[in-house]
Amino acid sequence: MTASETRAPVAPVVAPSSERVLRHALFDRIYHWVMAASVLTLMGSAFLPIIGFKFEWLSLHWMTGIVLTVLVLIHIVRALIWQDWRAMLLDGADIRDGLRKTKAALGGSGPAPGKPGKYKIAQKLYHFAAAVLVLAIIASGLLMLLKIDTPFWKRNPYWFDSDTWGIIYAVHGFASMAMITLVMIHIYFALRPDEWWLTRSMVGGTVSREDYAEHCDTSRWRPEDRS
Amino acid sequence: MELFRYATSIYGDSKVVIGASWELLPWFVAAGAAFIIVHAAVKAIAGRRGHAH
Repeated sequence: MTASETRAPVAPVVAPSSERVLRHALFDRIYHWVMAASVLTLMGSAFLPIIGFKFEWLSLHWMTGIVLTVLVLIHIVRALIWQDWRAMLLDGADIRDGLRKTKAALGGSGPAPGKPGKYKIAQKLYHFAAAVLVLAIIASGLLMLLKIDTPFWKRNPYWFDSDTWGIIYAVHGFASMAMITLVMIHIYFALRPDEWWLTRSMVGGTVSREDYAEHCDTSRWRPEDRS
Repeated sequence: MELFRYATSIYGDSKVVIGASWELLPWFVAAGAAFIIVHAAVKAIAGRRGHAH
């Protein structure tokens, strides 16, 4: 039995009494924006000194890293227990429609791609890439905390030999630089006019019934109505 | 261009990796910019083709 089968019955998909469809609950919006602030702070404190803006970056960086770690743990627990985490997994329809869409964009013919559920294939792929990178950054970053003194612990750089430390630092560095690429792409899509309906939903939480019907397969994403 | 940053080992006889090379930073920025440019171009061309039909 799937999570969608065990969930409580949802309200009718098109309810004339409600003009808006809830896409992101307040908790998830706060999570998104606090995470965005922490990622940008981490990137600024990591890369600005490298490109020449010198300041005392280490304390800001490791403390924000702890904030990001806590946020990601909360997100994982919330997604696994209170949300339908399967909504973010690729399925056969995503792959089929992704191939059809690519073919159509390149001028090919064939059946029209279907609409996605709550998340498009590109969003799911982006989430997967971001999850891999952020988890790699967090895992390596937590180990790197062993090399600095903080109010909570004393440094102990002898946990690993120098070769292992080199691998840990390299993983942290490569994943962090790749996050720049991902953040650029994320901001680009958020600013594209054809994606504003999604960007606005990360601020106000809802999408219009028209956008919901136009962009989503209402049988693949059946949100509860906002009261 | 190096992929890694190196330092001399504490014994002074070999080089050890100490992290990723920051010379790669512009390449990751360029990759993001390239994706954005290609995507925007494809969408613009596809949109124009859609209007034409």
